[in-house]
Amino acid sequence: MSDSHGAVSPRKARVLVADDDADIRVLVGIAVRKSGLELVGTAIDGIEALDLVRELKPDLLVTDVSMPGLTGLELCTLIRDDDELSGTRVVLLSAAVDEGAHAAGRDAGATEYLIKPFSPRQLADRLVELTRSSAART
Amino acid sequence: MTLTAVVNGLATPNPSPLLKQAPTSLLFGVAIVMVAATPQSVTSLGAMVAGTIAAVLATLLAGVLTAIPTTVRFALLVPSIDLVAIGFLRFGTGESLSIFSALIILPIIWFAAEEGREHIWFAFIGTAIVLVFPAVAGQSDSSTLNVLLRASFAAAVFTIAAAVINELSRQARLRLASVRRLAEERKSALESNQWRTNELANSEASLRHAERMFRSLWSAVTEQAVIGTDLTGLIDAWNPGAALMLRIAADQVEDKRHVDEFHLPDELEDRARELHYPAGATVLNPGFSALVEEARLGSAEVREWTYRRADGTEMPVELSVTPRLDDDGETVGYLFVAHDRTKAHEVAKLKDDFVGLISHELRTPLSSILGYLELMRDDDDEQLTETQLQYLGVAERNAHRLLILVGDLLFTAQVESGKFNLEQHVQSMSPIVAAAVDSARPAAVRAGVTLVVEIGDGGMVRGDSARLGQACDNLISNAIKFTPAGGTVTVTLNGEAHRVIITVSDTGLGIPESELDQLFSRFFRASTATRNAVPGVGLGLTITKAIVTAHGGAMAVASEEGVGTNFSVTLPTEHPARV
Repeated sequence: MSDSHGAVSPRKARVLVADDDADIRVLVGIAVRKSGLELVGTAIDGIEALDLVRELKPDLLVTDVSMPGLTGLELCTLIRDDDELSGTRVVLLSAAVDEGAHAAGRDAGATEYLIKPFSPRQLADRLVELTRSSAART
Repeated sequence: MTLTAVVNGLATPNPSPLLKQAPTSLLFGVAIVMVAATPQSVTSLGAMVAGTIAAVLATLLAGVLTAIPTTVRFALLVPSIDLVAIGFLRFGTGESLSIFSALIILPIIWFAAEEGREHIWFAFIGTAIVLVFPAVAGQSDSSTLNVLLRASFAAAVFTIAAAVINELSRQARLRLASVRRLAEERKSALESNQWRTNELANSEASLRHAERMFRSLWSAVTEQAVIGTDLTGLIDAWNPGAALMLRIAADQVEDKRHVDEFHLPDELEDRARELHYPAGATVLNPGFSALVEEARLGSAEVREWTYRRADGTEMPVELSVTPRLDDDGETVGYLFVAHDRTKAHEVAKLKDDFVGLISHELRTPLSSILGYLELMRDDDDEQLTETQLQYLGVAERNAHRLLILVGDLLFTAQVESGKFNLEQHVQSMSPIVAAAVDSARPAAVRAGVTLVVEIGDGGMVRGDSARLGQACDNLISNAIKFTPAGGTVTVTLNGEAHRVIITVSDTGLGIPESELDQLFSRFFRASTATRNAVPGVGLGLTITKAIVTAHGGAMAVASEEGVGTNFSVTLPTEHPARV
């Protein structure tokens, strides 16, 4: 899946969404599209998400924390520890609000930890910010 | 009756004057009868009559003194009168030939038997008076010199007899006193012995009772393991609770196994490390020492440990370790009382699971609801009508209400499970209270309630501004909810030395006094709230109090039904110097 704009405009950041809740998957997908980013795929559990990350090497993975197969945190750790996947940054979306969950996300190497319920508008804005800062870094 | 016996009898302090007088009176009677039978022996009828009267008087006096106890000295009046009687009777019946001469000995014995040497002299004087009376009276047949000589001789004999009697009675008294003392001592020893026997019997009964009580207690404690050890940890007591909990009988462990064998070595090592035990062989049994460290230093210790049962399975326990002391207060061993914490751990896990469930299973659908509602509102392609937007607003507002409720439930569950984190920043309370008032204004306007605000300089408070704001929000929104239209809600903030006081008072429904103490309980709703259909679930005040308490503050409430309610929150302030 290549960038349709090629070298003319900056390459659209490629985003993979993982959540076991179909409604949330669709909602995040809409937010991704609204932010002008490219939704490269969706996964319904941690294992599928890992396979897709390895296959598609997205710029961003927006994933739920509590998922069957592999949790978002495990997924995050595996991506962090895999040199081939160093280009993928992870945004965790979690329903857990306690301080411990936040810290666990940071420890696992997540770029961002967002709390459910979230505003699709604000999520889109945040994703744009993240991809911009990423582009500025590279 | 021997003289000694008579003397002993008279020497006792007990014989009554009448008893002492009895032989004399009897012999007076016999002699008078004998004289009456031989009238020729009477030489002076007047003296005879006087003597008889004196004898009767002496007897009567003895009777009176028996009836009315008096001193020994006063009782001596009786033998004195006897001697006077004998003097007259002897004078009236032929002096030295008189049958009454022999009676002199009886009063003499009475005198002589009394305690004290002076009584010998009383006896001598009495005898002399009786014997010289005829010569003194001047009517003696014999020559006065002759009478005086005979009287003196007889008086000397009677005085010697009196001296002998006096000494014998003294000795008799001493013997009697000694015997009495011995008898008293024996009686006292017997009583003491009896008392000791009774005491011993009581002690034995108490001991048996205590032992029975101890045995029943020991056997009744089946939910707790009670284990006794010596100083090395060798088990010497193992109650039925320990047998049940650790699944091994007393006879298999007592004097055979050490208590630390039922602990996890890792836990004991961790504790030894915590106590900075040097590695190596300096401590005989590091595991056991780690277990009893606090008790060894003299204080009881309660701590969670994991027991490994005889069958290898494990269980969490709360273990209290105390020293066992001997009579001198020296530690001779330790007592371990353990109770099963499995249930408590299960409950704690259940609570954690519940928190997780609320977090995920309730917040995830709410994410969808709120997210899709927002998408509808933001859809630029298909603009919604005013009515649709109004409906959407209702749906959003209720979804948010649900979200707040879920947040409240989650928060109380976190407080309960002790997983309640606060961000700690030093800040002024004034803007926090002002923000809470501002956010409550629209609701106050809708409810027709006047909001009066008096915010002074409250000083700096260390805490979580979001949580403190939540507490203020709860109190103000509660006050507005409970105040009918036209009422007033007053919010004040004032600083005092080392504390800031926030009050929220209303002119609302009030709370019955009987319900005030339950007001901060989870899910409690005042009867005035349910009666007036004021919406709510009864979590707001629980949360508010939890927040205030977590900040080291205190909450108070005063209320009168139909008049209003006043809540006050007191928070400790942070000195600017310490910021």
